[in-house]
Amino acid sequence: MWKHVKYLFISLIFIVIQIETASLLSLEGITPDILTIWIVYIALQKGQIPATIWGFCIGLIFDFAVGNFIGLSALSKTVVGFAAGYFYGENKALISLGSYRFVLVVLIVSFIHNTVYFTVFTFGSEVTVLKAIFQIGLATTFYTAALTLLPMFVFSRKLSL
Amino acid sequence: MQRLINIILLFKEYFILAGFVIASFILLYSNNNSQIHAIRSYTVGLIGFVQNTLSIVPNVFGLKRDNEVLRKLAVNLSDEVNRLREARLENLKLRSMIGLKEHTSFTLAAGDIIGKNMHLLRNTITLNVGESDGIRPDMPIICETGLVGKIIATSRNYSVGLILFNKDFRASAKIQRTRIDGIIAWDGGTSLLMTNIPKTQDVKEGDIAITSEYSKIFPPEVKIGIVVKVSEKPGNLFKEIEVAPSVDFSSLEQVFVVTTIADSEKTALEDAVLKSK
Repeated sequence: MWKHVKYLFISLIFIVIQIETASLLSLEGITPDILTIWIVYIALQKGQIPATIWGFCIGLIFDFAVGNFIGLSALSKTVVGFAAGYFYGENKALISLGSYRFVLVVLIVSFIHNTVYFTVFTFGSEVTVLKAIFQIGLATTFYTAALTLLPMFVFSRKLSL
Repeated sequence: MQRLINIILLFKEYFILAGFVIASFILLYSNNNSQIHAIRSYTVGLIGFVQNTLSIVPNVFGLKRDNEVLRKLAVNLSDEVNRLREARLENLKLRSMIGLKEHTSFTLAAGDIIGKNMHLLRNTITLNVGESDGIRPDMPIICETGLVGKIIATSRNYSVGLILFNKDFRASAKIQRTRIDGIIAWDGGTSLLMTNIPKTQDVKEGDIAITSEYSKIFPPEVKIGIVVKVSEKPGNLFKEIEVAPSVDFSSLEQVFVVTTIADSEKTALEDAVLKSK
């Protein structure tokens, strides 16, 4: 129970960071997706089902926090949790988190996330979905993956100790 | 039930994913922005396409109901077609009869055939016009296609006509093309006979036989029929000419009686001459 409360608390902090500091981390309008990194962490730590559930919850809270397009982040973050869950290995969480495997998983699921997100987001608009995915989405994916290096090094050090 | 639960437990990750995806879509649909409008529009089109595709799968009950409705419709339409066809035929017949009435110089009384009496070789027709309509014995009966016969008996409201296919029927006739005279009669066959035409006279198949002006009863130039066979027998002075009547007696329903009385002075003179001989 307390673990869930802890996850919720951390999720709220990351959501606030994502909303408030996104502009600070922005490079040419591209911002990293901290929430995706957090959901991948949950997936590698807890497995597919918790990651899917938390992905939906985090996405939904983020949607309500942003107040625009309710359900879109919930959908894409649910898919992120589910996809990242495939990389879960029992008793291998720290190894995964402390290696480039973490970055690779973020890279893959971030791309999936952006594909789902922009497919819905650009529906019926002038922006083509392929352009959105391969210009904005791909840049966001790489930026998010690059940012994942920070926790990866933290877990790597933790692993080496 | 247990099996179902086992299946759900086995694929619980997918069920959870599906549940959250559905929940996300429900939330997405609650939005009111252009993307959702587009998605709604696309979804409606997709559902329409699927329904249209699935519509080729026959719905047995629907087909049965449609079949019943179509059968009833077919019966009603068939009935209507028959009535329209009947009306068209009647219309055509009446039009031609009106045409005859307008173009002929005779005084005509229209009548319906209410009976056909086919007794031995004495074929007659009964008309629903009689003395009250000015009908008298020996008045010619015609229709739009030609000569029908003559009146042989009358009552106040009815009359009986003797038709061409009667062994007692005789009429002066001539070949329209060559003006050769003869006598039309019936010998019980399928066609009429034109008698008293010498072998030397020019008569061909396809010639038209009409009433002659020599007749005391029938007005001249009324079509009788078409020559269908011309033959000659050795030892016989006359041709044997078969004439197919232009009137189709099997479908004859309405006729006209020519109520013009023959020139009585001429008839009286001819009768007197015959008696003096």
